[in-house]
Amino acid sequence: MTVETRAPVTLNVRGVSMRFGGVQALEDVSFEARSGEVLGIMGPNGAGKTTLFNVISGLQYPTTGSVLLDDVLLTGRSVDRVAALGVTRTFQTPIMFWGLSVQESVCVALTAREFGRAYPPRPDRALVPSGLGLPARRRDDAALRARADALLERAGMTHMGRRPTESLAFGEERLLELTRALAVDPRVLLLDEPLSGLNPDEIAEVLRLIAGARADGIAVLLVEHAVGELLSIADRVVVLDYGRTIAEGAPAEVAANPAVIDAYIGDELE
Amino acid sequence: MAALWQYILGGVVDGAIFALVAAGFVLIYQVTGIINLAQGEFVMIGGMTAASLTAGGMPLIPAAAIAVVVSAAAGALAYLLAIRPARNATPLTLLFITLGVDVALRGLALFVWGTNPYSLAPFSSGNAIVLFGGALPPQALWVLGTDVLVFGALYVFLRRTTMGTAVRAAVANPPIASTFGIPLRTFAFASFVVAAAIGGLGGVVVTPIPGVEYDAGLTYGLAGFVAAVLGGLDSLPGALVGGFTLGIVEHVAAGLLSPGWDQGIAFFILLLVLVVRPQGLFGRAARRA
Repeated sequence: MTVETRAPVTLNVRGVSMRFGGVQALEDVSFEARSGEVLGIMGPNGAGKTTLFNVISGLQYPTTGSVLLDDVLLTGRSVDRVAALGVTRTFQTPIMFWGLSVQESVCVALTAREFGRAYPPRPDRALVPSGLGLPARRRDDAALRARADALLERAGMTHMGRRPTESLAFGEERLLELTRALAVDPRVLLLDEPLSGLNPDEIAEVLRLIAGARADGIAVLLVEHAVGELLSIADRVVVLDYGRTIAEGAPAEVAANPAVIDAYIGDELE
Repeated sequence: MAALWQYILGGVVDGAIFALVAAGFVLIYQVTGIINLAQGEFVMIGGMTAASLTAGGMPLIPAAAIAVVVSAAAGALAYLLAIRPARNATPLTLLFITLGVDVALRGLALFVWGTNPYSLAPFSSGNAIVLFGGALPPQALWVLGTDVLVFGALYVFLRRTTMGTAVRAAVANPPIASTFGIPLRTFAFASFVVAAAIGGLGGVVVTPIPGVEYDAGLTYGLAGFVAAVLGGLDSLPGALVGGFTLGIVEHVAAGLLSPGWDQGIAFFILLLVLVVRPQGLFGRAARRA
């Protein structure tokens, strides 16, 4: 498998605040995430972690502040445009494309990756050749399916390729969701509680895939309530509480921070 | 019995064109969630363009190709000028916008072609085809062949190509598809263009049978809409079955009862299906708004 060498990128979250009516979900949150690192994001329920992911991925626009990928402003762009620029995400509950097989689901992500390379896509370059079944496009399709099979093999899901997504167990859905996200070849990957609901074997598999993503030069932002696993894989950690950053640093430093223990870790370990 | 069979054969021909119009409704609804009430006008534009070009001396094949392109362009313009600027509007508002597009296209057709009916020579000569005592005009085979071609191509595209798979993913869950970078707006644009081209092609192949005039789109649009709802607005096989069911029921009702009863019976069956199975014969329940 060929691994493309890409210039490292920095995701820059600058002074992001988000207010829903009287609720301040995020307040002046700032941090950076760089290629090839796992940035853990911790905090109790309601701390603003998912809202932060929504803002970064373009699902919601912040009240104030901005998000940049290197010098490119992401804030204000549509979700598909943010994704085309290299930022993709997963959700707390894995969401499948019903009616598609496991292999087809990965193919969707690989097709989206093609779109991302020439955004907005021109129908004459993609849809029309595919619609007319041109030989070159058929060869591209075959290559895409082979690539999807390789990614499924990497995730230990080779035998599931033909299964409809409706038939997957929860842990299998999680693995497919992560494989699908990696197939887009993102530069920044936002993972929202990818370990929740998994058994120990599945947790080990997901952690292995996250480590692989880091080794491939992806900036991984990891929201996770499993504190031990998060601290074990994260290179740096940001801790949110009531929408504000209360700590940032190396996992060991953060774990020993009294404010963090008071707000979050103490409760989690109990 | 021979008369009944003849009614059924007549219904099959009408059903084939209703199915094509219904396919346009379904394509646009699946990809955008919009019910495009202007779909019948693309049939009229295809038929009128081909008929007027051949009347001017152009051979059939280039005239037919131009007619399909003109219909597709009408679909593209309808999307770019009317739908896209209002894409964040409510479904009801978008429905009314498509009604406005329908009226505008009909008015434009009246301006360009006037009120005179146009006709197109059958694509192949020969006597009527006798089938179990009933007769079909040779042109009917062109209409049925177009159905096979269009539905077959749609099936292959959606089920056998990765791009078609991406379209199915966008249909299954638009917000999630967009987080991968699937461009929903491009797909919406393409759905209007393809649906209009299908309508235009249908107009070209069916015009040799009944002829065409500027307001023919209203009838095709209404029949196609009923067929699409009957089959299930989110199901291409449903469009096929709904189209043929509607065509046959209309013809049999008109033949056995009275010519005035055809649409009344068709709408009664539609109401019956909607009461018993609101999502249509092949549709899925509880889709997105």
